[in-house]
Amino acid sequence: MSHSRPSSTMPRPLLPATIVALGCALLPTLAHAHASDRGFVLLLPTGHYIAGGAFAVAASFVVLFFVSPGVVAGLARLRLPLARLRVDGRVIASLLSFLLLVILVAAGFTGSRDPLSNPLPLVVWTLFWIGLTIITGLFGNAFAWINPWYGPYRLLRHQAEPTAALRPWRFGYLPAILQFAGFAWFELVYPAPDDPWRLALVVALYWAVNFAAMLAFGYRAWSRYGECFSVFFRMVSRLAIFERTSDGRLRLCLPGGKLHAAAPLPTSGVMFLLLALGSVSFDGFMRTFAWLGFVGVNPLEFPGRSAVMLPNTLGLAAMVAALSAAYFLAVWAGRRLSGDGDWRRAASLLVWSIVPIALAYHLSHYLVALLVNGQYALAALSDPFSLGWNLFGTADNYISAGLVMGAEAAWVLWNLQAAAIVGGHVLAVVIAHGLASRLRDGGAMLGQLPLTVLMVAYTVFGLWLLSTPTGA
Amino acid sequence: MTSDQGKSSFLKKGLSRRTALKGLGASAGLIMAPGFVRYSQAQSSAPIKVGFQAHRTGIGAAYGRWYEKTTMAAMKAINDAGGINGRPLEIITEDDGTDPKRGAEVVDKFANQHKTDVVYGTLFSHVVIGSAPAAGELKIPYYVVSEGHHVASTKLNRYVFQPGITDVKSQIQSTAPWIAANVGKKVTMIFPDFAFGYDHRDYLPPALKAQGAEVIAQIAIPPTESSFTKYFPQIPAETEVIYHVMVGPAVLTFVKELGEFYGSNRPQLFGFIDSLEAVDINSPGLEFLDGSHFWEGSPRYAQPDDSDGQKAYRKAVGIDDNGASVDDAKDISTAAHMFGCWETLYVIKKAMEDSGYQGPADRGKLVEATEALTEFAEGPEHPQGPKVFNGKIHQVFGIQNISKVEGGRLNVVHKTSIEDGLYEPEGDYTTQPL
Repeated sequence: MSHSRPSSTMPRPLLPATIVALGCALLPTLAHAHASDRGFVLLLPTGHYIAGGAFAVAASFVVLFFVSPGVVAGLARLRLPLARLRVDGRVIASLLSFLLLVILVAAGFTGSRDPLSNPLPLVVWTLFWIGLTIITGLFGNAFAWINPWYGPYRLLRHQAEPTAALRPWRFGYLPAILQFAGFAWFELVYPAPDDPWRLALVVALYWAVNFAAMLAFGYRAWSRYGECFSVFFRMVSRLAIFERTSDGRLRLCLPGGKLHAAAPLPTSGVMFLLLALGSVSFDGFMRTFAWLGFVGVNPLEFPGRSAVMLPNTLGLAAMVAALSAAYFLAVWAGRRLSGDGDWRRAASLLVWSIVPIALAYHLSHYLVALLVNGQYALAALSDPFSLGWNLFGTADNYISAGLVMGAEAAWVLWNLQAAAIVGGHVLAVVIAHGLASRLRDGGAMLGQLPLTVLMVAYTVFGLWLLSTPTGA
Repeated sequence: MTSDQGKSSFLKKGLSRRTALKGLGASAGLIMAPGFVRYSQAQSSAPIKVGFQAHRTGIGAAYGRWYEKTTMAAMKAINDAGGINGRPLEIITEDDGTDPKRGAEVVDKFANQHKTDVVYGTLFSHVVIGSAPAAGELKIPYYVVSEGHHVASTKLNRYVFQPGITDVKSQIQSTAPWIAANVGKKVTMIFPDFAFGYDHRDYLPPALKAQGAEVIAQIAIPPTESSFTKYFPQIPAETEVIYHVMVGPAVLTFVKELGEFYGSNRPQLFGFIDSLEAVDINSPGLEFLDGSHFWEGSPRYAQPDDSDGQKAYRKAVGIDDNGASVDDAKDISTAAHMFGCWETLYVIKKAMEDSGYQGPADRGKLVEATEALTEFAEGPEHPQGPKVFNGKIHQVFGIQNISKVEGGRLNVVHKTSIEDGLYEPEGDYTTQPL
């Protein structure tokens, strides 16, 4: 491609040097890197927020110094009985959910090729992955009812599954870890996760493989250790304010109250939670100028996902590894400081304090996508096969992208995101404090210090991710 | 007011996403229907299928949304007027993820799976460059709306056209006479240090020199930079005009810091609206731009002398006098570029009618008919203005708008002539075999 050289009358020594350095082989291309709403966030005093957020999380730890673990435990045990739910609608709910899944997969194969018009990618990525996670973390484990496996399973296995299915599972959470890692890779690294046809294939395969596994190993065992969304939602729901007891009573509790009595997780379960948080973190990190610059990609001219599959695969793995290393190091250091040497038990218990952080990251990172793509989803659901239907009267809804555009929206969204990140970490510190009282040292503050430092650091990281320039 | 809203919402509801969906649904139904093969042989009544290579996800999604709206509006206007060669126009949208590799896959899919007649609508240059070889190999006409110089450079192939929007070399060159005559002769350029900036770096100095002006400094800013104050001391004191083409999320910071650097006593400013496309010009931090000038392909704000064609186009696409969605005042359109989608679809229509296009077997004839086009008159089909088409380099040439930021609006103060943007062809696609 022939570049016309700058005129030879050009003065200023800077210029020729620049041109020589740049060479001449570059194709002239256009960048339409949108000034975008991150541009408005860049104008906000985000540094003050980051400092304030770090201070708030650190201060909450200091305040806890004066609060006995018994008080936290008392708060965690607070329950407000609401009702008694004797009806078990799980089979019906799951069958309806399965039917919906079949329709969505069919829509993925045969409906619109536009990922913003086909309901499958919108339901999977926006309503399910973003929306259901938030609902689960806030209110409770809806997925236990609406997962698309339980109903079909009970149709084939009329009896409750054999108790043998609950025998100790020697692989722990390994199947769930592998499946979630695959899911995260597909979401974050694979070039076309929104493509309706390819997504339909992946969803259908995922359902079939896990249904087969449930038939082989039993529904309860596989949904506890193997099917990664059952595992993920069950863990996240420990944060929620509703609790359903085994005898069917519905009770209200404080956020995180259920985590206080949570059983320690095996190491594989700990790794699963760290993987979940690490993947959402990488979703934010992989778009930053910092990461793109590190992997040698011009953020203003992002070459597309297919050009960064290897670095992003490695980056995703590195993010999870780094977060895991930091977590285990913090727990180990805490045990050293408190003189309680059982760092494995501490790690298996304290990891529950990661849950509010994971939910906060989820909420803040996907808020904009939820607000806009959620509208597309509602419209698409009214006409899943692009046949001109209007099942729910939403097909002609105007999609208001302006909702998240401009300086005012950026200010509101940033404050919501910052509140979620800081609130999530403060809750994490409080929950860790409560859980620490179950450790051998009885919750010595010194032993909690390193993990608190990690949480302060993760607050800073989370707010930085939301305020730094992004390009992909 | 109420009745106006009713009208606009009728338009909106009639044309946007849904119209395409219905069209697509019809074809999906056909595919599933048993008689599909026989039906598809009835070429004369079947729709003309245009494959829309859309940036629905990825870095181009913000632009892609308005390219989609404009495309659907043009499709509705064409179909309401009887379609193409008496056949309805159907748009089939495939997302390329703003990814060149997927772009090539999408072209392949259009040619072999959807069997569209042509491929159309790509904006991002790297996707165009990545997809063009596939279009050439599959011999499917590929009409892009990208603004890049890559088509006109004749480095792509005979099947790639850019008939609806001018290229950046022409745009830059067109603005030079006005800059030299009206804002100053000593120009300092500030541009991002990559290909987009290099177009400006390379094309502006000779164009200014021809007008008796000169570029006295070029300041290349690393793309990952997010603070700019440290570069401003490099701006020579005798600078009369700062020509700025920064892009990306840090643009607002750039403007704000430039304002803090100069205060009220600044040189003249000239920029390309690419920097602030789809961004409200009244956003906080942009006050410093008041009184400065921008290139615009098509004006964002309605102008007093807008042609009837321009007014009809704006109404059909659904943008108000401020260039925002009529349904959503905060959703600022990509007005400077998206008109190219509208005009390109009308060029495809014209070329198909000229060639008596019947189906994929006539693609060669369609290429030749497109190459034979020479000019487009301003009007409902070409609302941005009159155009001259060079069939040898597959590139259209047209007028450019120079707009001044005044009272929170962009007011067009000058329209360049088509001749301002003409340059010597760099090659000839028509010598390549079909």
